Amino acid sequence: MNETIITIDDLHYRYRGEKEYALQGISLKVPKGEFLVVMGPSEAGKSTLAACLNGLIPHFHKGRFKGCVEVLGRSTHDHTVAQMAEYVGMVFQDFEAQLFSTSVELEVAFAPENFAVEREEIGRRITENLAYVGLEAFRNRPPSTLSGGQKQKLAIASVLAMRPQILVMDEPTTDLDPISKLGIFEITNQLRKRDDITLIVIEHETEEALSADRVMLIKDGKILQIGDTRDILKQVDILEDLGVMPLGIPRFFKLMGQTELPLTPAEGLAAFRQQGWQISETKYEQLVAEESAANERFNKPLIQCRNLEHTYPNGVKALQGVDLDIFEGEMVAIAGQNGSGKTTLAKHFNGLLMPTQGEVIVRGAPTKDQGIFKLGQKVGYVFQNPDHQIFSEVVFDEVAFSPRLHNFSEDEVEQRVAEALAAVGLTGFEKEDPFSLTKSGRQRVAVAAVLAARPDVLILDEPTTGLDYAEQRSMMNMVRELNKNGSTIIFVTHHMWVVAEYAQRIFVVKDGKLLLQGATREVFAHEKELEEAFLRPPHFVQFSNQLGKTLLTPEEMIPCIDGVAN
Amino acid sequence: MDAELYLDLNTVIHRLDARTKITLFIYTFIGLILFENPLWLLPLCSLILLHGIVSRSLKNLRRIRYILIVLTISSLIMWNIFASGDTPLFWFLDAESAIFSVGRTMLMLFMITGGMILISTTRNEELVLGMIKMGLPYRVGFAISTSLRLVPTIASSLITVTQAQRSRGLDLESGNILARIKKFIPLLIPVFISTIRSTNIFGMALESKGFGARDDRTFYLQMKMGALDYVLLIFGLIFTLTMIFLNLQGYGDIPGLIRF
Repeated sequence: MNETIITIDDLHYRYRGEKEYALQGISLKVPKGEFLVVMGPSEAGKSTLAACLNGLIPHFHKGRFKGCVEVLGRSTHDHTVAQMAEYVGMVFQDFEAQLFSTSVELEVAFAPENFAVEREEIGRRITENLAYVGLEAFRNRPPSTLSGGQKQKLAIASVLAMRPQILVMDEPTTDLDPISKLGIFEITNQLRKRDDITLIVIEHETEEALSADRVMLIKDGKILQIGDTRDILKQVDILEDLGVMPLGIPRFFKLMGQTELPLTPAEGLAAFRQQGWQISETKYEQLVAEESAANERFNKPLIQCRNLEHTYPNGVKALQGVDLDIFEGEMVAIAGQNGSGKTTLAKHFNGLLMPTQGEVIVRGAPTKDQGIFKLGQKVGYVFQNPDHQIFSEVVFDEVAFSPRLHNFSEDEVEQRVAEALAAVGLTGFEKEDPFSLTKSGRQRVAVAAVLAARPDVLILDEPTTGLDYAEQRSMMNMVRELNKNGSTIIFVTHHMWVVAEYAQRIFVVKDGKLLLQGATREVFAHEKELEEAFLRPPHFVQFSNQLGKTLLTPEEMIPCIDGVAN
Repeated sequence: MDAELYLDLNTVIHRLDARTKITLFIYTFIGLILFENPLWLLPLCSLILLHGIVSRSLKNLRRIRYILIVLTISSLIMWNIFASGDTPLFWFLDAESAIFSVGRTMLMLFMITGGMILISTTRNEELVLGMIKMGLPYRVGFAISTSLRLVPTIASSLITVTQAQRSRGLDLESGNILARIKKFIPLLIPVFISTIRSTNIFGMALESKGFGARDDRTFYLQMKMGALDYVLLIFGLIFTLTMIFLNLQGYGDIPGLIRF
């Protein structure tokens, strides 16, 4: 074992103004060169722990700090954040807010400039680190023109330019599409092979944690488990209970009654063949036939795009030649890379944006003739970030906003609010301050606020981003419940497992064009094309594709295996 | 959303040293406040326009056209209230005060234009470095540039919030003034809160990159004054001194104007 580079001893921390301690007695030793992944549910204290490593706690966030954090023998308590920055680099989730220069090279230059590094040396570091993350070609571009994945790579390069010995990344891939996520993890892997850098990554995505040396699970500010990555990730039930997404492959093998659990699709494939299992041709065909019969029930067009084109006032063509039909009662997903045009497309459905060419027809009439005020009562739109719409002091007023604007009587308003809050599971929260709720709670308030207008169609933009696995599941189960009760659901997402489990059909957008559309099963069989759109099906679907059949979940595959009863 | 004000072009003006551009802006500022009479403002205003045309940055004014229109109308009316003269036109308007209000409005519009040209043609980092080379402490320069950087951030979150609330049925285009003002609450609170959140992360990222770690600091960006820089600076200085001289000689006033 290498020498210890980080020592945390009985760390307690409470944010100012909070009653509960966010960290309650964390003790940890990290050897030099290790790649440690920290996982846990929302509010477990993951980001708080990360902020302790470079002194943001206790210097930037004031509060009650007990215990000791020592990095390279320096106590973070006695050194400023800027002093620690030379040793501990920090990358944040929000790639917009952490970049502030007007060109890529100046962004990388900023940190070394602060340490008075000579100009020639800064130049070398810019070249070296941009090459490292694969952004050499963008050296003179403004960061605002980069894609989400590139921005996060730039953030990493700008921190590496200080030559830190420790790199801490706080959910670096949360806002990224699957392939950009992979890009970040390739960089992490490259870094992992360098023994001069220690990596600590906070991550929600279990598939991405596979290359770590160790995984640490935390909950309620305490360490639950820390150990070898494979040992930790095999514990399907413990992860699920904790609100961390278990890997699809071990989950399948566990459901099949196995004790030896493979982790990756390749391992799964080998184990599947070793067991001599077969997917029954007839059962699979039966499943596909049942599904297409079920999908045919949806035949009343609700939203139709005809040769839809949208050009923004600055001349950027965001959509072109989009033709699609969404039918009443469906639950469909729109997927694509950051900036692919998927949100622009969805904003046409409720009249927020109007086509610059072609048309969008909602319930038989062009959106141009209806206008947003009228359309808004039929088509509800929940924005990605609930903080972009919440403004009231109590939950009741927030949810009542829309019905009041449409001039319903106060009795009617009350009834609608009660109904909407019940649908999102927030009955009893009427008098709460929405800002005091967790992200998932605020997300639910935002959904309720839209539901209160009783729309027939609900559009959700990235409803699961920023939530932990348990919250994502309960959010999507709630949405599915709404769908079963008659609402048509359209959700925009880059979470592929959500698509696999919840969408009947999927539209894949790439560079403003519809690349693929069809039943989720059909589309997920086209891994190559999906990759072009920066998408990748979850591990389990990849595994199933390699077996020659596209099955979306373990629960779907098990009854299709020959000789296995339900 | 494209909310940056800097225009990434390669015009003669863009290539000038930031110090030159800042100095020219200061000259503009001085020149504009010298005269009451709009006729006397014309030479400087045409130079500013020329500056804007050559740097192809006047299109940025389009983005604030509504604000400019509101400011123009209110300024044209308001300055009449603060001044009067001997030649009544109609109602409370006098010829002198009308001319005066035109002058003051030009002053305002061209100051905005000058500032806009400066921001449109100078990168944020160049602006900071320019100000520091001209003697401002680094932290002050950085603070100024950060507040400029906040403008596009706030503008783009305002766009998103407006879309979110319009989707919920908020109709910003109807109602009397009081009703309309009330409608801004659902816009301003989310913008305020998300700005605070993102500046918080900005602050953390800044410290985590070692902001203020050392007393001294190096700059990767290099600045060099070229021949054109000196020519423009000298021309600007002569022009401004001439204007000051003429002003001291008593030119450029509006005869008969009474200011309150």
